[in-house]
Amino acid sequence: MMSIVLAGFVDALGQFLRPENLAAVLVDGLAKAGLYVMIASGLTLIFGLMGVLNFAHGSMTMIGAYLGGLVMVTLVGSATGAGARIVFFFVALAASFALLAGLGGIVEIGLVRRLYDRPPLYQILLTFGLTLILDELIRIVVLFYGMQPTSDWVAAQGTKPYFLEQSVDLGLVSVPGLDLFEIGFGVLTVATLWAFLTRTRYGMIIRAGSEDAEMTEALGIDVRRVFTVVFALGAGVAGAAGTLLMWESTWGASVPLAADALLPAFVVVIIGGLGTFRGTVVAAVIVGMTDAVMTWWFVNEIRFAGLPEMTIFLLLVVMLVLRPQGLFGVEEVGGH
Amino acid sequence: MTLLEVEDAHTYYGESHILEGVSLDVAEGEVVALVGRNGVGKTTTLRTVLQLTPPREGSVRFRGEDVTGLKTHEVADRGVGWIPEERRIFTQLSVEENVRVAVPDDGDADAAVEDAFGTFPDLREFAGKDAGTLSGGQQQMLALARGLVGDNDLLLVDEPSEGLAPQIVKRVAEALADAAEDTTLLVVEQNLPLALDLADRFYVLDNGQVVESGDADETSADDERLRRYLSA
Repeated sequence: MMSIVLAGFVDALGQFLRPENLAAVLVDGLAKAGLYVMIASGLTLIFGLMGVLNFAHGSMTMIGAYLGGLVMVTLVGSATGAGARIVFFFVALAASFALLAGLGGIVEIGLVRRLYDRPPLYQILLTFGLTLILDELIRIVVLFYGMQPTSDWVAAQGTKPYFLEQSVDLGLVSVPGLDLFEIGFGVLTVATLWAFLTRTRYGMIIRAGSEDAEMTEALGIDVRRVFTVVFALGAGVAGAAGTLLMWESTWGASVPLAADALLPAFVVVIIGGLGTFRGTVVAAVIVGMTDAVMTWWFVNEIRFAGLPEMTIFLLLVVMLVLRPQGLFGVEEVGGH
Repeated sequence: MTLLEVEDAHTYYGESHILEGVSLDVAEGEVVALVGRNGVGKTTTLRTVLQLTPPREGSVRFRGEDVTGLKTHEVADRGVGWIPEERRIFTQLSVEENVRVAVPDDGDADAAVEDAFGTFPDLREFAGKDAGTLSGGQQQMLALARGLVGDNDLLLVDEPSEGLAPQIVKRVAEALADAAEDTTLLVVEQNLPLALDLADRFYVLDNGQVVESGDADETSADDERLRRYLSA
């Protein structure tokens, strides 16, 4: 019996190690990493720079998916060309970013700011309560318009240009166009945020304010306004991530997307180290690759579709036991 | 002209009454030392001026304007700089960024960086390195540089010689003396000879109150009046 299992495993390993399968897993992993880094970046910005654990982050991603979908469904018709659809996508992305950044700014000024002097538990309870309210509000709205809130919004998924639905032949492997788009988008997100934080005066002020808010204030800088900008930026990135997810068949715009996006975002930021942007990028790649490898095994060999997701959380548990501060975490993160 | 007036300031940390009616003034161009034992309220006086710990009673006036209750960044914007105890440089920013972040939006950051490295040449070779990698003395230089580039009219300097080797203390004193040529200074300092050497006038704080004051030139470090309040 044991020898049969072993022989089966060796055979499966041989299949997995075939160059075309390894290449496919690599591309799938990078595409997943692109999505994870998009989802987690806003969360890590807000926690790393402000010390606020934003439980409403997933809801903001979900709203971004609906907003992006709304813009696309409104602008795109059956005769709209592929180039125009990409242009409209960036319009949708900008709209989601702007509206969610505005919502984030309002939430910070109206709610979160009042709790800075309280223990972190208050901020967690506040943002958790906010996520319940936002989810319920969106559920009411989509029900009102006759859309099913718990399944993906198919009309929005249908707005993607044809070349993202086709595969691109890269020699060893044929890669879905959407995967390449997600990889490119993940790289663009990381590069943009990195450049903003390290190459601009405002980024420098944000990093200073996150390390020592009082000292930064004493330099004549309005740190409260900086925190509002950071919260708005994090919420805007969450919204932009949602717009990207709108096209994904496994995510799509739906109310449960709030929880579906929040959980992997937490996994990524905890594995990377709470509050480190570099850690988030590295962890997104690790989680994305783990997900892709396990998906290959559990889809092609072991045939248990729910297990890939479970292994991500297993990775989280292992990290919490072996290195609770995460890969690049520090003992303390930003605050006020 | 009087630049800073603190009048009957009562400041608390929670329910702890730290400043019990501190009054002092600093004229434009002066160097004023604030001396006293540990825990008598010297640092709290500076924090009160900056409104980091605003007074519950009394007032702080800068250039004749009542700044009590303003936000700290609004007081700093009016030309009040702070070189805090234990430096508090931004360890995750580079040395150069520590200088740049202190330059006001309308200031010339490149020129400020050049000025800072001209004043403290030792810092230039570390310009691109994280400030957290500097030694204690270099960090104090950087903290001074950061305070000086802000184009401030009044600099609040808290324990600039604390924890530094004598050679570094000498250089810090020289840097402060240079700064005093065009900036007004209010310096908290435990090192009494250094304080009296730098200052034009001094105030002695004890139990949250000003108990002595005078001209630095007319007082020596072994003056019995001062020793009474400074010995542990």
